[in-house]
Amino acid sequence: MPVVGEPLAPSPVRLELERGGRRYSLHVLDAGLACCTVEVAAALLDGDAAREPGTLPPAEPGATVDVLVVSGTVSRSLAPVLRRVYEAPPSPPLVVSFGACCASGGPYWDSYSVLPGLDGVLPVDIVVPGCPPPPGALLEALETLAARGAS
Amino acid sequence: MTPRPPRARGVIGLDEAKCTVCMLCVRECPDWCIDIDAHVETLPPDEQNRRPRSVNVLDRFAVDYGLCMYCGICVEVCPFDALHWSPVAEYAEPTRSALVHEGDRLAQWEATAPEPAALDERAVAVDPGPRRRA
Amino acid sequence: MTVLAALEPVAGSSAADAFGLTTVDVDASAWPDAVGVAARAGATYLDFLTAYDDGDRIAVVAHVMTPDAGQRVLLRTWVAADDPELASVTSVHRGADWHERETHEMFGVRFVGHPGLRPLLLPLDVPTTPLRKAVLLDARLAVAWPGDKDPSDSEGRPRRRVPPPGVPADHVPPPRPA
Repeated sequence: MPVVGEPLAPSPVRLELERGGRRYSLHVLDAGLACCTVEVAAALLDGDAAREPGTLPPAEPGATVDVLVVSGTVSRSLAPVLRRVYEAPPSPPLVVSFGACCASGGPYWDSYSVLPGLDGVLPVDIVVPGCPPPPGALLEALETLAARGAS
Repeated sequence: MTPRPPRARGVIGLDEAKCTVCMLCVRECPDWCIDIDAHVETLPPDEQNRRPRSVNVLDRFAVDYGLCMYCGICVEVCPFDALHWSPVAEYAEPTRSALVHEGDRLAQWEATAPEPAALDERAVAVDPGPRRRA
Repeated sequence: MTVLAALEPVAGSSAADAFGLTTVDVDASAWPDAVGVAARAGATYLDFLTAYDDGDRIAVVAHVMTPDAGQRVLLRTWVAADDPELASVTSVHRGADWHERETHEMFGVRFVGHPGLRPLLLPLDVPTTPLRKAVLLDARLAVAWPGDKDPSDSEGRPRRRVPPPGVPADHVPPPRPA
């Protein structure tokens, strides 16, 4: 666990995806804030086209972050930390907003301590609706981003 | 990935022909994510109805899937069975505002909704017939 | 001696059992004594300490248990809502430190003798004591409720307007965007 004040060292997961006959390799970092993280974890464990489902990806120290998935409720206290996670990699990653809380605050849209979505904190490239979205929805969104980036 | 069950709750579709604009789904939604615009029209008397009738006419039915928490309260509360679950769950968009689905998309979702479970074999199914609209 | 039996001398009255949990009401002046008596009788695990807003007074509750969860009791006391002050129980349970900080920032209860009563969870620009019933959710007041519309509005007839939950009846809703 990084201590406040220390530089953050993200450890992304390498994911191999297939779409339209093409293979894409993405390094995905999950900023798992709340319940949606469970679905992201399931997608990262089971959704790799090259790995046996349920197996852990190989460790790649120093790998860059291609995609930052933000999953779960964004409390106002945590927003600056999330911004630092986004700014930590050497080049800005793509951002996936995963779940209703990241899209709009979701069930907590009216709370005194929750941000009504990621707008204003991070530039979002794709918004995945759901509460929570199933793991397949994340894989589909990542495939869309990968195909969009390749074209 | 484990395949999702055929009656999984992914998105909600609207059968607009059944909606009477009672506004119950709008008022019961905990997230305030359903938006309805409607007006009242008066139908003149005809052979079946000797008196003029007022009907609600739906102008806009929109669901904000960026807010929706998929609780299903709207589906349960609708007295006319106009809202249905569909198993489709992959409809990510580049922007949050594109997650507001209007009537045309809600009709597409309705088309993907599974058939209701079969009635008990002893049940007598009565077809209510088409609703007479303006 | 059971925890409940040990509490009898300091207890005011016991509320009825609810779901197998007995609530013991204690006078505010005897609050740290009661928590200490329960701990010495075996209820050494503080599950939580929190409060709820009961109109003109605030109830502070502490759920204490024996470590094997064989006995558990909800201790409750009452403080005045307009000046809520209560003795801290951090001398009995060190873990009460964070519970009392949270109860302080959410309800405004001042815990006398607490080693450092400062906010625990809330960002500094949040309205103070958000869990008090008088503090309303700004978002619900500022956003137009879609359920405020009705098809009959097109006929121009006045009708009774019901506010959504969390909004007082006399609140004037914001003008609807064109």
